[in-house]
Amino acid sequence: MNDTFFVSIVTFAYFSAAFVFLVSFIFEKKYMDTAAVGITSFGLMLHTLALLFRWVHSYQLGIGHAPLSNFYESLIFFSWSLVFIFMMTKKRYGSRITGILATFFSFLILAYASLSGNVDCQIQPLIPALKSNWLISHVISAFLAYACFAIAFGTSILYLGKRKTGTENTGLLPDAATLDEITYKMISVGFVLLTLGIITGAAWADRAWGRYWGWDPKETWSLITWLIYGAFLHARLARGWKGIKMSLISIIGFLAVIFTYLGVNYILSGLHSYL
Amino acid sequence: MQTKLYRLFSSVKVAIFLFLALAATSIFGTLVPQGLPLERYDKLFSPSVFAILEFFNIFDMYHSWWFVLLLVLVSINILACTLRQIPRIVKLTFQGKKGIDDSVFTSSQIRKTWHTQEDLPGLMKRTQVLLKSLAGNYVEVKNNDTSYFFAEKGRYSRLGMVFVHISILFILGGGVIGTIWGFSGQMNVVEGTMSDTVLLYGGTGTEKLGFDVRCDDFTVDFYETGMPKDYRTDVTILEGGEKVISGAIRVNHPLIYKGLKLCQATYGIAGIDNFRIVVQNNRSGKKTMLTLGLMEKVTIPESQASFAVAKFMNDRGGKGPAVLGVLLETGKAHDIFWIGKNNQEQRGDITFALHDFDKKYYTGLQVSKDPGITLVWTGFLLILAGFILSLFFSHMRVWIKIATVPGGYELSLAATVNKNKKVFKEKLEGLIGKFQQGGTA
Repeated sequence: MNDTFFVSIVTFAYFSAAFVFLVSFIFEKKYMDTAAVGITSFGLMLHTLALLFRWVHSYQLGIGHAPLSNFYESLIFFSWSLVFIFMMTKKRYGSRITGILATFFSFLILAYASLSGNVDCQIQPLIPALKSNWLISHVISAFLAYACFAIAFGTSILYLGKRKTGTENTGLLPDAATLDEITYKMISVGFVLLTLGIITGAAWADRAWGRYWGWDPKETWSLITWLIYGAFLHARLARGWKGIKMSLISIIGFLAVIFTYLGVNYILSGLHSYL
Repeated sequence: MQTKLYRLFSSVKVAIFLFLALAATSIFGTLVPQGLPLERYDKLFSPSVFAILEFFNIFDMYHSWWFVLLLVLVSINILACTLRQIPRIVKLTFQGKKGIDDSVFTSSQIRKTWHTQEDLPGLMKRTQVLLKSLAGNYVEVKNNDTSYFFAEKGRYSRLGMVFVHISILFILGGGVIGTIWGFSGQMNVVEGTMSDTVLLYGGTGTEKLGFDVRCDDFTVDFYETGMPKDYRTDVTILEGGEKVISGAIRVNHPLIYKGLKLCQATYGIAGIDNFRIVVQNNRSGKKTMLTLGLMEKVTIPESQASFAVAKFMNDRGGKGPAVLGVLLETGKAHDIFWIGKNNQEQRGDITFALHDFDKKYYTGLQVSKDPGITLVWTGFLLILAGFILSLFFSHMRVWIKIATVPGGYELSLAATVNKNKKVFKEKLEGLIGKFQQGGTA
């Protein structure tokens, strides 16, 4: 038995939670939300155990390192981050909408990680460049940021959907203003985390490559993402923009996130070759 | 004119435009590889595309005049915006606890007025407790029959945004200093030799370090899977021929000396040395080991012949390393033949076999000097401090007025907060509800 076994249960738990959240939208039952949150908590607990289990297991293999070092591990941690961000913010923003987005996205990512033939789930030893104290703080801040942006992306899409179908204030899904507010809150938290991710990355690059910034594609794309969300926050805070324009910037921002995460590695080439 | 220009530069619209312009243009540099020699681009693109890209300096776009101009405009914009905002923020932050005027009770975001017949001392006491629980302190002003209370918390959180914006100027400033007064390049040092010269990146010349870097040893370790595990250079720094320090440079563990950072960047094989050739005299059966360098002639024992290695191949025809041996015997023509690592070659009475050889590595060290880095780190810390201040703290102000009215007292409450208004409003309404029922916080 290894961590991938836990991951398969977690995948199922998130799928069930997403389903119960969806049903609770239709029937408007509070206890269903509670049930969905319960399933999600169970999933997150097991997910955390799976991460710890893999961490311990890597030490047993004599190549001990945090499970944050290859594509598979990044996917598992990305989905963990999504659910973690949801659990941290559910008190503030209500559980239903961020809950369904977080569990559904997590389910998709985990299913891809487990089922796709492209993702090697073996624990691999660390190459010299990754043997750094910055690994943990850099990866955690970056993926927590990605998770916030992913939820904001979800609420932006739903916002556009509501506006387009003229159902801004109907009961199904939160009203458009709430979606707009969640988008903004998620992006402001994500922006701070992304800044932290870029700073820890710069500190690491300074140790590993002798410079804190070198316009490597990964660095440049993280800056592009940062600039887009920076524009979003300025438009919102200083200009009071709301609505469709903001949703579009949020969606473009998330496309930049995806490109920073995957596109840079699979389409471009650079120093940051390990995701 | 001056004010118009100032308004333009301190406008948030311009800021948003510049952000998006930087983001959009930055993409080019990630699609076109940066900083290669021009001939390489010539092969990559058709002549017309090449001409356009070259015109816009896309081959080194992050240092091009127009990209630097964008960065300068961003800096001016941040500076102008901050200068425009600072007076207001400073006023809000440091305005002291001035006398309370009645206007807050009609203009604040949160307002509430109610009547009570409770006795005054109890009411005052409970007001004080309420404000203490909200803000930790309060000011009380008495004006005829009316008592005013004022409490506030988190004034300094307003400085968070100022910190964040100034930090960007620090970081950009540090970048400029590093570009002007710093350098970055590579030095390749063969094991056992030393060097004091760095080849600057971008082919812009060399830089003398003022001290020598000697490579004592270079080692590369691999995992069983063949993945690299560790690259390590043992170096000694010498000044005027005198040893100063010794240390190891590994990936993620640079050596810092006199403000210069030496990082492990690459390595390679500088040459092969100390070939060990086993020579067997087939008549006597005696084996001898010859140790020789490239093109070094040695006499083969018990014979008139001598031998030299003329050439080395790392992999000859898929059969592994081999040396090209030259056998010289007086009165005979040179005999030239390959000796593989895994087989023997017989020439007359003598059998040759390549036993082993030493690889001589060179280490590629990246050497960089960046006098702007302190400013950059300061900027990084400042931006985080700014975010923490503005994310986790908010500026809250509460005013309470107790006025004597016929048949009791009139209480007015006003409050403002600069963030999370909804949450604060709900919390305050709960507290007021309790207060009206005679409880405290």
